[in-house]
This record gives sequence, structure tokens and C-alpha cells, in this order.
Amino acid sequence: MTEQEKERVNEHLKATHDRIFESNRAWASKCLDKDPEFFAKLNSGQQPDYLYIGCSDSRIPANEIMGLEAGEVFMHRNIANLVNSIDLNIMSVINYAVRHLRVKHIVVCGHYNCGGVKAAMTPADLGLLNPWLRNIRDVYRLHEQELDGITDDAKRYDRLAELNVLEQARNVVKTAAVQKSYKDDGYPIVHAWIFDFKDGLLKDLKLDFEGTLKSIQKIYNLTGGD
Amino acid sequence: MSTIQDAFHRLVAGNQSYKAKTFSEAPNFLPQLATGQSPEVLWIGCADSRVPETTICQCKPGDIFVHRNIANILSADDISAGSVIQYGVGAVKVQRIVVCGHTSCGGANAALGDADLGETLNTWLHPMRELRRKHQKELDALESTAAKANRLAEINVRNSLEVLQTLPVVGNAMRERGLTLHGVIYDIGEGELKVLEETSKSGNNSLWSQGR
Ligand SMILES: [Zn+2]
Ligand SMILES: [Zn+2]
Repeated sequence: MTEQEKERVNEHLKATHDRIFESNRAWASKCLDKDPEFFAKLNSGQQPDYLYIGCSDSRIPANEIMGLEAGEVFMHRNIANLVNSIDLNIMSVINYAVRHLRVKHIVVCGHYNCGGVKAAMTPADLGLLNPWLRNIRDVYRLHEQELDGITDDAKRYDRLAELNVLEQARNVVKTAAVQKSYKDDGYPIVHAWIFDFKDGLLKDLKLDFEGTLKSIQKIYNLTGGD
Repeated sequence: MSTIQDAFHRLVAGNQSYKAKTFSEAPNFLPQLATGQSPEVLWIGCADSRVPETTICQCKPGDIFVHRNIANILSADDISAGSVIQYGVGAVKVQRIVVCGHTSCGGANAALGDADLGETLNTWLHPMRELRRKHQKELDALESTAAKANRLAEINVRNSLEVLQTLPVVGNAMRERGLTLHGVIYDIGEGELKVLEETSKSGNNSLWSQGR
């Protein structure tokens, strides 16, 4: 290859270079402009105050909607923000966040127009998604009367999305990690939120954390032992 | 308890300023998003707070479908990640899957040894500890713990790409519509993403489609 050809190839490579890497570099240099020590500080470790559990849906990037920077929120996202006690994946996340990172708040965040919630109520065999989404049908069963009373489909799904978040937040409260840490240290506090595209706002579904803790501990108390 | 309250109010304030900014820059952006999503990328990354995918790639809401767990571990029998992949590839029809590991990963670091972290984390880290045993010689040759952890993070990402290809929904999408897989490492100290490995059946290796 002649020098000229090489240059042309290089130019072509540059022009078609992956956008993601370009954006990433632009972001990194912006951070360094603001704070030359930004990455050096992050490199020394993480001390996030929050654990966020949300839906995989691309439209709800949690850091952006909460105005949080890199290093501020530990993150787990799955289909329809479900918290299942036999899902090792999320149980590891909660365990690590509470016991090792000692987060102060756990936010379970759902959203309206959730495809997962809709799919869960579709009368179809969805393969691997059947057992996953079954949790949402169980939430429906718990609130069958109220949900059956809502005639508008979209509204019924949206209410189911709210009830699902509340139930999943309750599942977080049921974990041994949260119960024990709260007993010893007075945190973390668990919250149930839902994101609304129409106004871009997070709505607090006002989970009564202490009340929930007391009520679940009648049956789910795991604070005894060691 | 005042600091706990402060931390909580920060989120509420942050969201309000997000709303104000988004609506003043593009009033129709959020209402439009409400109608549906068609993200190009499914991101499988670590839960670590220092690697927020949308922030570090300067992306917008709607761009990236996301699963994040401890140390971005992928096992064929994990129903949570499995559901995300099934839904993301089969229903949402993403065009690329990015598996992102990172330097200074607490999970990778813990997987270098066999310290008892409790049954939950021990069981979760088991596949990564197995990978470490499989590559023990290579890791032993590295000097610092940091270098070993970073190397294990890379090995883990490569392994995840292999696991992905064994899933029928992924294999079919690669053959039928050119789904591509990308392994990357995010360097926390540099703030930079680095390509590790890319798999493509269509010959198009670019992470984002051009002119996007
Ligand atoms: Zn959703
Ligand atoms: Zn990590």
C-alpha cells in the first residue's frame, strides 16, 4: 500500500469509527474538564448511596432521570423490575449493595407502558419468559378485584405496573440483608417509584417502609440467628 | 437520619431538573418515547455504580436496553439475564449485544480467591471462580492483583460472548438478521471503553450503524 492509500484507508476508518467510542471519549474529556481528578477518584473505589432496581427498558436510563453521576448509584435492571427470592442474580446484587457497599436507599422503579407487564398478561406461551413473567400474573391475582374493575386496558396495565412495583419493593424488604441491616444501622430505606413518560417525572408510590417491614416480619422475619 | 433524608431528596431534585431540561430542549421527546422503544443495543454490564452505560456512551433514553448484575456474569441457566436476552433479541429486536466488563471490578477481584462471601455471592461468583481456575497459570504469571483482576474481567467477557452464541434466540438472530456481539472493557481510571472482541456474521463490525 502506498502512503496515499494508507492515508485514505485511515480516513475511512476514522469516518466510520464506532460512534459509541467517539461519544465515550467526548464524555470522558468533558468530565476531565470539569474535574481533572474525576476518574482518578472513581478508580479508588465506589461508595454509592443508592441501589436502583429497574426495568431493562431502554427509555429509562436511571442515572439520567435522577440526575446522578457515575459512581453514585449501584444498578440492577431486568425485565419488568422483578424481585424474586430464588433469583440468584438479583439476590447477589441486593446482598452486595447492602452488606458490602452499605447503600442508604434502595429504589425499585417501574414505569407506565411497560412491555413486560403487557407481555405477562398476554395469553401466549412465551417460553423462558413464562416463569419470569409469572410473578406479574401473581401480582394481578393479589389485586384481581381492583384490576378487573378497570375497564380501560391501558389504565389497567398502568395500575398493574404500580401494584407490581409495590409488590417487588415489598420483596426487597423481605430479604435478610435488608432486615438485618435496618435492625443494626437504621438503613437502607426501600422506596417504590414509577416513571411517567408523559411528564418525565418519577412518582413516589409512597411505600410505608417501616409499616411494611413490621407487617412482613410477622411471617418473613429473618433477623434472628447470628 | 438527616443525611439519609438528604440523599433521598437529591434524587427527587435531580429528576425535577431532568424533566425541566428535557422538556425545554425537546418538548416532544418524552411523549414520543411513550409510544415505544427500538433500541439498537442490548448492554450486559456490571452493576458497579461507576459504569453507567448511557452516561459513559453519551446516549439518550431509548438507545440502550440494559441488564446489569454483579460482575456482568452470564450463565446459560440464569433466568433473569436469559429473560432479558430473550425479550431484547426476540421481541425488541436489538441489532447488537455489548458485554461490558471493567477494570477494578469488585466481583472479578473477589473471584481471584475463594474467600467465603456468604452462600448467595459464593454461588453467584462460582462460574467466574471456575474461569479463574481454568486460566490459573496465565493469571499467576501476572504480577499485581489489579492486573490479575483486569485479566479475569476480560476472560469473563469473552466467556459471556461464547455463552451468548449458544443461546438459540441469539444464534438465530445472528444468522437471520445480522445481530452482532461485542465484548468491551471499560477502563474506570481512564473513563474509556476498549474493544476486546467482536463477532459478526454480516461483516459489519461497527458498533453503531453509520449516520445515526
Ligand atoms: Zn418495562
Ligand atoms: Zn464490576
